Amino acid sequence: MIDLHIAGWRAWAPGLDSAEDWQSWARSPWTPEEGDEQPDCSFLPAMQRRRLSRMARIALHAAWPLCGDDEQLPLVSASRHGETTRTYAILGDVADGQPLSPTHFGLSVHNAIAGQWSILRGQRGESTAIAGEADTFEHAMLEAAILIEQGAPAVIVVLAEECPPAAYAGWIDDVPFSYAVALRVGAGRNDAALAARWRLSLASTTETAAKTDWPFALDFVRALHAPAGPLVHTWKTRQWIWQPNP
Amino acid sequence: MNDLQKDIAQLIIDTLSLEDIEASEITPALPLFGEGLGLDSIDALELALALQKRYDIQIASDSRDARQHFANVESLAAFVEAQRTACAS
Repeated sequence: MIDLHIAGWRAWAPGLDSAEDWQSWARSPWTPEEGDEQPDCSFLPAMQRRRLSRMARIALHAAWPLCGDDEQLPLVSASRHGETTRTYAILGDVADGQPLSPTHFGLSVHNAIAGQWSILRGQRGESTAIAGEADTFEHAMLEAAILIEQGAPAVIVVLAEECPPAAYAGWIDDVPFSYAVALRVGAGRNDAALAARWRLSLASTTETAAKTDWPFALDFVRALHAPAGPLVHTWKTRQWIWQPNP
Repeated sequence: MNDLQKDIAQLIIDTLSLEDIEASEITPALPLFGEGLGLDSIDALELALALQKRYDIQIASDSRDARQHFANVESLAAFVEAQRTACAS
């Protein structure tokens, strides 16, 4: 089992941005309507943000304030499905025999968000890009715990998923709406009010678990507001148990 | 600015997702890369692709003169004209 100190967190989804928005959502969760709404990322000059995809904007917007400009912290960038919108556009060009856009190609890779974070924030440390299954969130938090174990004072974790193009409808059924959840794990900065301690353990199970109503990262955001008891996230034989620590 | 220059200036804005800038502001002699407009090497690749598609021309990726052709809108327009003539003949 591992103990995780959540020093701060932020999240974004269509119509859900402020701490108050998420508090309302956590109290009684709903599925926001998906449009093309995206954060404006106005903290970046126009020349720097023009190539950011919607998914990259969502991820960067959520993670940005969690790391100070004077800090060097490792980043864990996680997404089960990645840049499906860019990938689909590229596949369309391949099918049509068209030359591929260098920008789309370069930024469709799974570590593109981590790379852009590094360039835009001047972060020279390590970063990890993870694609797991439905429990990608837990694997990202495990990665953060390992980085802290190795000496990092804190780690920025960002998990982002974008609603995929309609063509993926038969395969991707776990992105009810586009969202990002960003957490600062480890030492805090100055937002101690948000701090929470959790213990994560992994058990194996042979029972088929009931599906949770929300993706695990969002379910964790919900639990951060009302940490009543343990949270159980089961995927295949892996049973992740989140226990709030006093 | 002639029509081809205006067309290329607009193509640059559309292809490279430039915000808050009008085609008329990308004057023929404005440097495109580094100083001036501030484009980078990925923009150069993207722009070469867009020019080939739009004007039905070929741009060799190993052209030694590429740096000069891509200096500004004026040199790009001259290059496109020359390539069109070459491809047509």
